[in-house]
Amino acid sequence: MGIPAGQMMAVARYLLKQRLAGRERYPLVLMLEPLFRCNLSCTGCGKIQYPVQILRKHLSVEECVSASDECGAPIVSIAGGEPLMHPQIADIARALVGRRRYVYLCTNAILLERKLDEFEPSRYLSFSVHMDGPRSEHDHSVCREGVYDVAVNAIRAALARGFRVTTNSTLFEGTDPERMRGFFDDMMELGVEGMMVSPGYSYDKAPDQEHFLRRERSHRLFARMLGSPKRSWSFNQSPLFLQFLMGKRDFECTPWGNPTYNLFGWQRPCYLLQDGYARTFRELMEETDWSKYGRKSGNPRCQDCMVHCGFEPSAVRAAFESPKAMAGTVASLVTGRL
Amino acid sequence: MTEAGIAELVDRAFDYRGYVTLRRNDGSELVGFVYDRGAGHLDLFDETATQRLRVPLADIADIAFTGEDAARKSQEMWERRKGKLEPRDTPAHGGWVQPGKVLVLVAIEQELRSVARALRSPVLRGASRGRLCGNEVVAVAMGMAGDPRRALADELPRLVVSCGFAGGLDAALAAGDLVLATAVRNADGATLRAPETPRLAAAATLRGLRCVQGELVCAAAVAASPEEKRALAAPGAVAVDLESYAVARAATDAGVPWLALRAIVDPLDTALPPFAREARRDYVWPALRYACAGPRAVSDLVRLARNASRAGAALEAALPRLGRALVISEARR
Repeated sequence: MGIPAGQMMAVARYLLKQRLAGRERYPLVLMLEPLFRCNLSCTGCGKIQYPVQILRKHLSVEECVSASDECGAPIVSIAGGEPLMHPQIADIARALVGRRRYVYLCTNAILLERKLDEFEPSRYLSFSVHMDGPRSEHDHSVCREGVYDVAVNAIRAALARGFRVTTNSTLFEGTDPERMRGFFDDMMELGVEGMMVSPGYSYDKAPDQEHFLRRERSHRLFARMLGSPKRSWSFNQSPLFLQFLMGKRDFECTPWGNPTYNLFGWQRPCYLLQDGYARTFRELMEETDWSKYGRKSGNPRCQDCMVHCGFEPSAVRAAFESPKAMAGTVASLVTGRL
Repeated sequence: MTEAGIAELVDRAFDYRGYVTLRRNDGSELVGFVYDRGAGHLDLFDETATQRLRVPLADIADIAFTGEDAARKSQEMWERRKGKLEPRDTPAHGGWVQPGKVLVLVAIEQELRSVARALRSPVLRGASRGRLCGNEVVAVAMGMAGDPRRALADELPRLVVSCGFAGGLDAALAAGDLVLATAVRNADGATLRAPETPRLAAAATLRGLRCVQGELVCAAAVAASPEEKRALAAPGAVAVDLESYAVARAATDAGVPWLALRAIVDPLDTALPPFAREARRDYVWPALRYACAGPRAVSDLVRLARNASRAGAALEAALPRLGRALVISEARR
């Protein structure tokens, strides 16, 4: 099981509270982008293309904490940019952990080993290391040689010091499912707690526009890659979301499930699309025209999207909608079958 | 331009990953990064990316896409290296590198305290460290006529500012007036011109304060009397200090741009007490001794303290603007 029981219980309690309160829309994960600068320029990334004066800016610890308080989501995913380039990233993580938020600090791990001293292990803190596949695929994806080896060494160092470590893999057209299965074996052997996988989103600012997966291709890739999963594999994701990626289930997007806060404010409507910014979380939730997003809306930018930030909340929500779905989720978590 | 034309430009500006220049209906221009737009307004960061501004669409006459498009640049870089991986030691994306510090060099503790107040930071062991407009700033008291090379070697700055008090050589200058050096000249007549980009940006941001630009004469010893100062006055020379030439020389040799910003503490017709000629870090005890000389000495000291306070306040007001100037000059580079 890739998600610790305590974390699952905390999320379940939170969801139950939202349902009892009769809330239609509520966040599950806060996507916090405290900065846009990065020490890599990956082929499929559209997050970091800003003038240098914007790249130099970052959110303060107070701004990050206040965004988390405003949002109230039990999980905070710190993305970017490369969060470890933030001069106060450890303070941010510490402050959020102090508020009992489950923090996933997403990093390419280039700086991880030398920054480990600044953090303290906690059941609330996990380093989510960007690993897009085996050595050659990962280095190709991040466009730099040697990054896979650096990340593997950093994962070993973090695990040795008692930190929670997960991986996150973004997949593109041309991914070899068999090699990915080998990669899952390698990561589990390394000792990571769980893995996350998702197809890449076709950012219009990303340099490579040719290798984003279309929906049908995503289904085929994930069905081959995750079919007959090994018992040793642990995914830090909802099994229903993985089944969705494999084409076994269909969900509509929940764009408000993973709201995004960055230097510009609360991003409308989601982590991937930039249609504007709200000044407050409430304004984001109440004044965004959500009917314009998701597959059913006909929005062309949503048609091929199967990214976790929109569909993982749908999958988690679905698991709580019926005893059968809940039983299926629990069974899948226990047996590892998808 | 028609309303529809402006609306189209606004959409393009919102999608653009670079700076734009807005021309307003009153003819004024505003450079910024557009990050949002509403039915009747545009939200942007100013040129330094430190202030958020909201501009009504009705005020906009035109939008020019004047800054480099970071998305296109990223695309071009990727196409150039297509298939090839970056070497392991490639610097961060977007040309972003950890920016170097701004080193502010002063002579005495009192000048350092003025800089520290501007930085809102304490003075510890002859230095104060803080930030101005997102720039890391280190202020160091190097002593009167001190050697700036050690501080340059220790801090590896990206800009050096010679800062502190000066004597007036121009009769029009009063205590607390600022002098931004166009050049510095030493006692032998050797002259260094201030690098233009930071100086012009500094001059623009200091507009509104009592500030003149001109040559700064760097004497070998304190010019305490009006006669000594008149002897140094030359066409274009506006003020005299002891350190700015050495600072500019050291910065130039290290390939670092520099500025000299001084506040007048003793105008042309004012004399400094004799103890001011001594090279000291602090003047509390000499001043107390001097005060014992009689009421006239006390009156001199009161005037000097008042002038020093004005000069300190002027520096305190000017330094935050210099931080802004630095960001602007680098944005334009």
